[in-house]
Amino acid sequence: MRVRRWAAGVAACVSVLAVAALPPPAGAQDKPRPKSASPAGGASAAKAPQAVDYAQRFASQCAACHGANGRSDMAGTPVLAGQPSLYAITQLFLFREGRRSNQPMTAVAKTLSDDDMRGFADYIGTLPPVPAPAPRAPDDAARMAKGKSLSEQHKCVFCHGANLDGGQQVPRIAGQKEDYLQESLRGFKSGNRPGYTQAMTAAVSQVSVEDLDTLAYYAARFAGK
Amino acid sequence: MAMKKIRTCIALAMLGSVGVPALSQTTPATPPPAATPAAPPAATAAAGAASSPADEPGWAKGRPKSDAAMKMAPVPAFPIPTAPDKLPTARFKLPPGFKAETFAAGILDARELRQGDKGNIFVSSLFVANKVYAVPEKGGPDRKAKVVIDNMPMATGIAFHKGSLYVGTNTKLLRYDNIEDNLDKPGEPKVLTDKWPGGTDHSWKYFRIKDEKLYYNIGAPCNICDPGEYAKIYRMNLDGSNVETVAAGVRNTVGFDFDPKTGNLWFTDNGRDWFSEELPNDELNVVTKPGQHFGYPFCHQGNIPDPEFGWGKSCNDYAKPAALLGPHAGSLGLTFYQGKMFPAKYQGAMFIARHGPWNRTTKYADILVARPDGKGGAKIETFMTGFVENNNYLGRPVDFLVMKDGSLLISDDHAGAIYRITYSGNK
Repeated sequence: MRVRRWAAGVAACVSVLAVAALPPPAGAQDKPRPKSASPAGGASAAKAPQAVDYAQRFASQCAACHGANGRSDMAGTPVLAGQPSLYAITQLFLFREGRRSNQPMTAVAKTLSDDDMRGFADYIGTLPPVPAPAPRAPDDAARMAKGKSLSEQHKCVFCHGANLDGGQQVPRIAGQKEDYLQESLRGFKSGNRPGYTQAMTAAVSQVSVEDLDTLAYYAARFAGK
Repeated sequence: MAMKKIRTCIALAMLGSVGVPALSQTTPATPPPAATPAAPPAATAAAGAASSPADEPGWAKGRPKSDAAMKMAPVPAFPIPTAPDKLPTARFKLPPGFKAETFAAGILDARELRQGDKGNIFVSSLFVANKVYAVPEKGGPDRKAKVVIDNMPMATGIAFHKGSLYVGTNTKLLRYDNIEDNLDKPGEPKVLTDKWPGGTDHSWKYFRIKDEKLYYNIGAPCNICDPGEYAKIYRMNLDGSNVETVAAGVRNTVGFDFDPKTGNLWFTDNGRDWFSEELPNDELNVVTKPGQHFGYPFCHQGNIPDPEFGWGKSCNDYAKPAALLGPHAGSLGLTFYQGKMFPAKYQGAMFIARHGPWNRTTKYADILVARPDGKGGAKIETFMTGFVENNNYLGRPVDFLVMKDGSLLISDDHAGAIYRITYSGNK
């Protein structure tokens, strides 16, 4: 499958980056639970979060796939630009917990401390939205109209907002990559893509795959109301 | 959470409004609208409800189309527990003589608290952790939570009784026997029911066990709708048999306990959303007889007919609240204090956790004390503040546990921590 292929490639690139860029004391972090509770742990080397520059770490650990400004042209890799910080940290959490599965992201997330997750998420939350590059072909007007009507019918705007720009735990989907949106929506429907809450699973359960694909087409090209 | 600055005056005004004298319940409630003995909602009902793709999410029912409202939605617990040195513990404000300390940290999504006979403190979770933990009673603030149950979504309702841990998700009730001797390997539980309706709206559980009956809630499957057999407090025998209605018209209770003096069941009920920023209030209610209906979805806070479901109904036909708990307050855990450590005036008083609103621009969260006035009402006062800074939550209190020494534990699902309140002043 196409997705598998890019995933493997990304995995290779990310794991190299991850190994190179990560602080050494990753030992304690394979499980996010009570370990961070220890006040003694507060004195460990992973501490001193103020000293860590997550802009720099984003540039070295994330930018190769996600783009320096949070948008890349790597297929299937989601746009991080314009994503709310809370959404970002929920997804890092799901990767680290092993609930959301994506080999390269899981590899990175497993190495992140709680402070790292906060640091990366806060940094991602500062990235301004980056519009999609001009399309090679004009949008299919009929398909866009169909997508708009589906987004209203299925209440996408109820959580993602009239501008599909999200907020808090809800991602920005306007201008997100179509292949990523399609994969995500199909994943929510099939159960392969767990969310932080049950919202998306419930929302797409009765929507046909064809309509989900149309929604992905529409949201990816949506430029604001 | 791009929220504006907290306005102290508003916070004060709000605290004031909470202290509104309890609505009197002198007139016995008029003939209670039929509390039908029909079977409680089962899984099929939920499946039916979910089959309509055009339905908005249950929490969004009744939401106005304004931009400000369209940006509000329930916020799940934060995925990372707050580091021990960043917890708000030192900021908490309490009455003179009381002190707050961190009892345990690093407990992701810490919700309800119950204690085993051998001292283990069981901690449940809601949307995020999918776990039940056990925290040892002994030790210091670095005590560690052990994961007893894992990968169980909405493992929220817990109760301990005769060596067994009862765990309720939104769909099933499980019993783990002899749990305290098997924390590392609790084994396969006995399934007492797997017929609860599930869903995500108000479907999580809160439990009390009294006289060999398990009391539990099935909340409304929406913000505002005709709830059918939802929106009730039920009880059943401990083997899952003989389900009975205890109270109807209960939108979403997330905390109840029995008055040690009268044996009456007191419960918090979360009011509907999207009515307005300041209304309606959450309710503190007391069940005084069988067959009572507490108003939802027809009447809110005892005196506001619902703009949609209230037509043709009168608030006088429903049991009035004992006290009002604030708009969109997220009134959760409720526990009667019967310990020996606190001053006499806390004996027989209720502690109530206000988790804080999502459906309101200005946030607040705190711990209240409510004292039954002997006439069906209750007097409210603020006990503990310091959970909110610059209109952001530093912590959000959920549930209580009174320890054997009389100290009070408070869980916090936002910060992933448990605090302990002690008293060392004059009695």
